[in-house]
Amino acid sequence: MSALQTREVRRAASTPKPAAPARRHKPLRGNLWVGLLALPAVAFFVVFAYLPMVGLVVAFKEFNVADGVFGSPWNGLDNFRYFFSSGEAGRILLNTLLLNTLFLAATLAAGITLALMLNEIRGRFFKRVAQSTIFFPYFVSPIVISIILQVLLAGVGGSGGAVNDALAGFGLPTVDWYSEPGPWPWILTVVKVWQMGGYLSVIFLAAITSIPEEVYEAGAIDGASRAQMAWRITIPLLRPTAAVLLVLGVGRIFYGDFGTIYAIVGDNGTLFPTTDVIDTYVFRSLRQLGDFGTTAAVGLFQSVVGFILVTAAVLIQRRYAKESSVL
Amino acid sequence: MSISRRRLLAAGGGLSIAALLGAAGCGGGEDDSGSGDSLTVLLPGDVPPGWDAVLAAVNAKLKAELGFTINPQFTAWANYKNQTLLKFTAGESFDTALQARWLSMTQLVASKSLVAVDDLLAGGKYPNLSKTLDPKLIEQNKWSGKLYGIPQVNAAARIQHFNIRQDLAEKHGFGEIADYATLERFWYAVKQKEKNVIPMAVNSNMPDLLISNGQPVGLFNAYSWDNPQPSAQAFSGDSLPFVMALDAKQTGSSRPVPFWEAPGMVDALRAVRRYYLDGIINKDALNVDTSTVNSQFEAGRYASRWAITDGLSSKSVATLAAAVPGARLANVVPFRGGRSAKPYQTFQADNFVVLNAKGSSHEKAMQLEDWLSVKANHDLISYGVEGTDWRPVGSDKFEQVTKYTFPGFALCWRADLELKIKDITESEDAWFTWAKDYDNFTVDPFASFIPDPEPVKREDAQVVAAMTQYANPLFVGAVDVDKGLDALKKALDKAGIAKLQAEMEKQANEYLKGQ
Amino acid sequence: MTKKKRLEPFTIVSVVGVGFFMVLCVVPFWMIISGSFTAESKLATTGYSLLPEPFSTAAYEMIFTGPTVLEAYFASIFITVVGTALSLAATSGIAWVIARRLPGISRPIAVFAYLPMLFSGGLVPLYLLVTQYLHLQNSYFAVILPLLVAPFLVFIQVSAFRQLPEAILESARIDGAGEWRIFFRIVLPLSKPILAVVGLFYAVHYWNEWFTALLFITDIHKYPLPLLLQNMIQNVSFSQMLPTSAGQSPPVYQLRLALTAVTIGPILLAYPFAQRYFVKGITLGATKG
Repeated sequence: MSALQTREVRRAASTPKPAAPARRHKPLRGNLWVGLLALPAVAFFVVFAYLPMVGLVVAFKEFNVADGVFGSPWNGLDNFRYFFSSGEAGRILLNTLLLNTLFLAATLAAGITLALMLNEIRGRFFKRVAQSTIFFPYFVSPIVISIILQVLLAGVGGSGGAVNDALAGFGLPTVDWYSEPGPWPWILTVVKVWQMGGYLSVIFLAAITSIPEEVYEAGAIDGASRAQMAWRITIPLLRPTAAVLLVLGVGRIFYGDFGTIYAIVGDNGTLFPTTDVIDTYVFRSLRQLGDFGTTAAVGLFQSVVGFILVTAAVLIQRRYAKESSVL
Repeated sequence: MSISRRRLLAAGGGLSIAALLGAAGCGGGEDDSGSGDSLTVLLPGDVPPGWDAVLAAVNAKLKAELGFTINPQFTAWANYKNQTLLKFTAGESFDTALQARWLSMTQLVASKSLVAVDDLLAGGKYPNLSKTLDPKLIEQNKWSGKLYGIPQVNAAARIQHFNIRQDLAEKHGFGEIADYATLERFWYAVKQKEKNVIPMAVNSNMPDLLISNGQPVGLFNAYSWDNPQPSAQAFSGDSLPFVMALDAKQTGSSRPVPFWEAPGMVDALRAVRRYYLDGIINKDALNVDTSTVNSQFEAGRYASRWAITDGLSSKSVATLAAAVPGARLANVVPFRGGRSAKPYQTFQADNFVVLNAKGSSHEKAMQLEDWLSVKANHDLISYGVEGTDWRPVGSDKFEQVTKYTFPGFALCWRADLELKIKDITESEDAWFTWAKDYDNFTVDPFASFIPDPEPVKREDAQVVAAMTQYANPLFVGAVDVDKGLDALKKALDKAGIAKLQAEMEKQANEYLKGQ
Repeated sequence: MTKKKRLEPFTIVSVVGVGFFMVLCVVPFWMIISGSFTAESKLATTGYSLLPEPFSTAAYEMIFTGPTVLEAYFASIFITVVGTALSLAATSGIAWVIARRLPGISRPIAVFAYLPMLFSGGLVPLYLLVTQYLHLQNSYFAVILPLLVAPFLVFIQVSAFRQLPEAILESARIDGAGEWRIFFRIVLPLSKPILAVVGLFYAVHYWNEWFTALLFITDIHKYPLPLLLQNMIQNVSFSQMLPTSAGQSPPVYQLRLALTAVTIGPILLAYPFAQRYFVKGITLGATKG
């Protein structure tokens, strides 16, 4: 895809006049002039993103500190074998996919719902306070989240916790949450929604503001209820934004949210059956070794899979929702 | 829903450091560290309160006496390992750093990034330093015959043991506890009679210590307190410990076995499981770190905790007494035979000050270490300005007046020069003094054996992952022993334990041959 | 009709829904604030504290008596303000070029901006680049530049730009306005809500950034706040292994909570300023209904 497009750019740059002015765009010279606006960001990407990518060669090398990246001997695909020969690869890949899909779907849904609901609130003061409060969890560090979770689920010393107290109050059996892997995908999802819901709702709120009032006025004249207007007018207009977030999220679906998961689950092996993702597994098994080659190989694998998924997502999007396609 | 670059970079803080570390070691380039007449010293942790004043005093004195100054750079603990490895890889020219097997020392030695200091020491040019390093310490810390850093110790050996609430022991009629069976009875008494106190604290940093891991004793391993002679070795810190044959030295054959085949181990696992079910230990061991548990201990939530013979567990005395009036502490090392038990000991230092091969001047770095071996200089950087930051108590203790703290073990720990803390309890003092004497220990037959993980590093990485997942829950009693052990064995088989065991045997036998 | 104030079910559901989520956010927030003022001995036995009792400011004293805390605030403010301004400028520029759907330009640039989100060369090359080629160590720009453009936010902005009413732009073109003029005089002013949001996100990133600072800032007098706080919290955990007899141990629980409070504070204060832009827009859209 990108090679084709590079060629396109080159052709475009060398042709003095566009062959057939597409739609009503200005001539190419004008386009290049607009293109200058992208220059600072492009320069940034070249220097701080693309230049350092030469470092990726280490994924194919038997790394050692003294020889560094260029001096270390090549070892072909050996580094990639480590992860796939572990016998755990299947389970971990599945966990990664499941957890991230859950996170992505739940946080997007929460962001949209919160934005719609906030949009319904008339009292300016209440709305402002509400917006500030729901944005707040985004700032809470993973360590503090894990402290709060322990208070809720385990209490000091690991027997008790607010949730168990409540369960006992209703005469229900209590749960040893920290040795029961089953509920953890859901617990982590709740944490993610709590953490990101407010953050994402801000993005959607900004999108809602750009919806012209006339659209709603027309709806009101037709006698539509607020709920109907939200459903028929606002949500369809939020689709492009949601689509962008979705595509961006799909590309990173093979990365876990390492910071949060590791802070909460840590080295608690009893929870790994449902919570161990690629990033945590690699961190755990390689932290002692300091082998940059193997870790770079796993990272490259994640990138390539992400690349394939995004390409697929973009192609689907172009086919079915061309308007909202960004790539 | 990640936030791209920031997350990418932030992730580097932990894992993806790994995943991201593309690595390029063309290095050697010009960076400003180590230039001129200043040595760059890498230290872990945070800048101590009052650091500017102390550093100014240190540098003034250094400049006057040796003609150069130091430029210490602090790196947060959690990032220290990766950050220093990055600096080594980038070929920077800093002069000294803290290194150890639990950091990246094996790797750095293999890549010849460190200077062998025994050659430098041999010339006799650093008399103050040589005087503070016991010949046994130097001998036992050589790796394949070379000393790759200056061992930083404050005693001859470190033995893990228990720090208990002596006031509770006396309250329930236990007096002075000296053996494991009594200690266990103490725990059950606390469980029964003290409603809000958990008898023993365990945490996520120590699961392997509970049973054994290269230590002569496992904390809950009653057999090992009676027979502190196992010699256990692992390829890396969190990997599977293999226990060597007891008669290895006589037969020349190491015959390493996985830990569960060694005597006492499975019984210890069953004991921990019982403690877990009976509420003797906390149930959240895998999710709380040392500092959290210590804070809870200091608030009176626990009746005992892990300690090591470094003379520092008494630090909690003041805080604990403020929270729980009348609380007192004691250290219990329940060897059968007490202080004459003569446990095995490798005398391997936990920490080294290493010299960067690309450093600006190895000679100056050694001069610095020599200079820090002089009492006045050592005390200045370790405790701050005398009279302002601290004052001496008696001949061998000190009282810190300000909040100054310095990571001495990363630069200037010398067993003979370290002062004891003012609050040190009698029992801790006694065991600390005991631990300072090399003659109280038996030299482990594998004392200076450092297994090389290189030939089996992929298998080792997978074994490490399997250990965290299946062995740690077992070590803290969170799973049924038989089922858990079964799952562990299966996972280790898949990870390639057979290859590890064969490699360990090969390397250990070679080591024995060389002795 | 427009004036009629009928309380609709969806409005009630919304108020209840938002209210519920607010409670979920406020309770932990209160736990953090209250806990940060509670004595460690209480926190360590209960794990939390809903009332600051026994009252203690030990953690805040520890944070604010640090010798470099004022310098750290200055560093963080500089990095946040300058960084956000530069980032917003660079991001708006590239986002508009992508949003314009220029044949042969927009799509390649979009791909070019997206790939760094997936592929990264890693730390070592970046480290070498900044320290040995750009010589930025101990400069605030070493923290700003590697984070200058976040692809994620570029695409958020692209999708917002695409929703600008085409008619206005078209009429400007017909009036003969140049591309740059359109961008600065029409596109940017019309995009205030999204600029506020993206700016806010950048500000939050910069304000919280400690990892690039850790890599490139070794001079303790230039540490930004998050790095200082990170060090402090880790040091509390590890200093237990250090010989000191300075009376009381540092408060572990309390400090973690106080550090969260200290970090959040300034951003929460800045929030209403950014909020003005997107709340106003919404109010216009909603009250007419």
